Amino acid sequence: MLRHEVVVVGAGLAGQRAALAAVEAGRDVAIVTKLHPLRSHSGAAQGGINAAIGVDDSVDAHIYDTVKGSDYLGDQDAIEYFCREAGPTVIEMEHFGTIFTRAEDGTLAQRPFGGAGFPRTVYAADRTGLALLQGLWERLGSERFTLYEEWELARIVVRDGRTQGIVALNRRTGEVQGIAAKAVIVATGGAGRIYGRTTNAHSCTGDGMAVAYRAGAFLKDMEFVQFHPTALLEGGILVTEGARGEGGILKNASGERFMSRYAPKVLELASRDVVSRAITTEIQEGRGFSGPYGPYVHLEVMHLGKEKIESRLQEICDLCRSFAGIDPVTQPIPIAPAQHYMMGGVGTNIEGETNLPGLYAAGEAACVSIHGANRLGGNSLMETLVFGKSAGVAAAAYAAKAAPTSVEAEELAPVEAELRGWLGRTDGEDPSALRGELQRVMDRYVNIFRNPADLAEGLRQVRALQERFARVRVVDRSTVFNLNLSDAVETGHMLDLAEVIIVGAQARTESRGAHFRTDYPKRDDAGWMKHTLAQRAPGGPALSYSPVGFTRWEPKERVY
Amino acid sequence: MASETVSVPFDVYRYLPGKDAAPRYQRYTLELTPHTPVLTGLLRIRDEVDPTLGLRYSCRSAICGSCAMQINQKSRLACETQVGPELARHGRIVVEPMRNQPVLRDLVVDQTPFWREYAKVEPHLKLDPRRPMPAGKPTPMTPAEVERFRETPRCIACAACYSACPAAEADPEFPGPMALAKLYRFAVDPRDTAHQERLLRIQPNGLWLCLRCHLCTEACPKDVRPSERIRDLKEMAIAAQGATELGSRHAVGFKRNLREGGTLNEMKLVRQTYGVLGMLPQLPHGLKIWRKKPEVARKPHPIEGLDDLQKIYDALDPEAKR
Repeated sequence: MLRHEVVVVGAGLAGQRAALAAVEAGRDVAIVTKLHPLRSHSGAAQGGINAAIGVDDSVDAHIYDTVKGSDYLGDQDAIEYFCREAGPTVIEMEHFGTIFTRAEDGTLAQRPFGGAGFPRTVYAADRTGLALLQGLWERLGSERFTLYEEWELARIVVRDGRTQGIVALNRRTGEVQGIAAKAVIVATGGAGRIYGRTTNAHSCTGDGMAVAYRAGAFLKDMEFVQFHPTALLEGGILVTEGARGEGGILKNASGERFMSRYAPKVLELASRDVVSRAITTEIQEGRGFSGPYGPYVHLEVMHLGKEKIESRLQEICDLCRSFAGIDPVTQPIPIAPAQHYMMGGVGTNIEGETNLPGLYAAGEAACVSIHGANRLGGNSLMETLVFGKSAGVAAAAYAAKAAPTSVEAEELAPVEAELRGWLGRTDGEDPSALRGELQRVMDRYVNIFRNPADLAEGLRQVRALQERFARVRVVDRSTVFNLNLSDAVETGHMLDLAEVIIVGAQARTESRGAHFRTDYPKRDDAGWMKHTLAQRAPGGPALSYSPVGFTRWEPKERVY
Repeated sequence: MASETVSVPFDVYRYLPGKDAAPRYQRYTLELTPHTPVLTGLLRIRDEVDPTLGLRYSCRSAICGSCAMQINQKSRLACETQVGPELARHGRIVVEPMRNQPVLRDLVVDQTPFWREYAKVEPHLKLDPRRPMPAGKPTPMTPAEVERFRETPRCIACAACYSACPAAEADPEFPGPMALAKLYRFAVDPRDTAHQERLLRIQPNGLWLCLRCHLCTEACPKDVRPSERIRDLKEMAIAAQGATELGSRHAVGFKRNLREGGTLNEMKLVRQTYGVLGMLPQLPHGLKIWRKKPEVARKPHPIEGLDDLQKIYDALDPEAKR
């Protein structure tokens, strides 16, 4: 059995920042990740990272924008902490070596972003995630820790009321191993691959959320799924909000700049839920274009000029040219919304603590909650760092005092038995086919506009897929890079999460942020200003609710 | 965009070391539109035909660097290579693992050598405790200073350059294009206080093994242009410590030689490169050449218009006037 004091699962920005904090606290730290850290999906973040460091900006303005953006479901105490930490955090990342875009006077350049009252978004062209990932990995790389690269999380072991460690599958050797840990930090990112049309990487399968849920942790606010307004082609490749921040505009098929009807004051820079609903409405009412990849509207940046497009939106230029055969310098970009981010996740407090002693979570895998019902662009990169650090600090402190832990043979055995069962079948369900069906169900029934009939049908179909998953079959018998086996592991995780999303969405009879019910189109503060908590139970997720943290900001109607 | 499908034959390298006696190529034929990415084709093979195919992939938008492989003999990202142009040029899509890294399974390679070289260039800011960063403030850096990084911040560590590099294939001591581009990135970073130390270390450690074939620059999906940054590093290394290696002495000698006479004085170049004593082991080889081509030993006549050539040299590089 392997043994460390703190085990971080996931090596994106949140996991790395947590690991760095725990290493700096003197703990023996391991990172377990199914991808090389530099291949983490954090690196795909494009537009930027929010910090109120501009001369005219203020931390209070950042707090207010985030609270309003969350549609008053964000915990205000957590948001205040987050916004106060943002400035020092971006400066720390600069000192670690991150290469940001600069203003002429040598300070960090900042661009406007949706839902923000000031140009608050620090950036590195349109590859801010990559810049931060490089900066952090290069900083962390000079420290001592153990990296389990291309290992998959299979189980979090909880015994005697506390976390004992994890069970993981080594993708390169096929071995299932226990890693004992006094504290485990889940930082495995989002679960966008539950949907077919998503900006997320193939690896975003919500492993940490699902495994924590199975271990008894609460999943919080899972019904709040963010759809990014501007994604390309049928698969939904991300086109950064920075394109609109730099001045890009949206037009429907009649050439109308339609956002004036939905957000007259800030137009394209309304928050994401608002813009995604506007685009979907235009399309549903017949004012979109139709193409081989489905209906779409136009995102135009031509008027910004070649030089600005090619420097500030360099990656977008490349993506449009090489993936879509479109030159944004001279042509509009065909876009439509796509799943982008999970506001929900493993429920935590500011320290990253979950309801299970010794289990922590941070980043997209967690829900503190600062994003509430809708996340603002530029807040998720900052969240990974601020709460990655606080979780790392808290987990290290806990581990320093905790008694030794262990992962016993009988805790490994069920994982091994399950995998053996899948591998031993001569007949059964193909995991990637089940995944494909799940994606179609979620795209069709649990999208931007929700209604009870769709949600009920979605749930029925997801449960049918869960039943079929019980007979899943892995045909690849190899121990080396058995992706067929990984498909099965990941699909099982996604089926659990899809169920939680739908059950939460069915119960929440209001519209708030990204959760829009056509039968309840208004926000209902009296009935629903509360977090959904889902805990695993024999008949499916058992829901309970917890209050939203309030400090200074009274709920108001949300208009942009 | 055309949406007519065409029949696309994939010949995919399959090999599981320890189990398969030898690698083989498996033919899969799919109906795809011409703009379909090769990765999408491979994932369809995995999902619909053969779930045992091993490959790495994640973001499918050319930013995670997972899916670099050989596509029709070129190191490319499978996600941003479309089947149409490949089919037009080659009639089929041959997909093989990256080179210069051992195969783990099918298209999955062991990247240990690549990451080892990356780690060797110490890819992190080195700071001098006597020159702390400004407390509570970002380090000032002008857009012009950011320009000095050139395109190196775009590197996604996909290793396409390493796979394309003949020097990495020939000599395991060669750090490879990505590691050297990364070294360049730190050697021009105004926050880093170890520029000199980095340059002193790299000259005797593989910098001059680069063959200047520019295949890395051709392979790079993010236009990082590693070969150009290696050229910059060579100039920076010579400026920092003079020419200490065979490679750098050869380069400096070559340049000086040309400026002096407008043509190569090969005898002199050998001496400039190896030094007088160092020439001795080269003697048998020299004699062999001399027997076939005795004119190499004669001092060449300066070319016509040498004055003009020297003016060009001096205008381009005032330092070289010495």
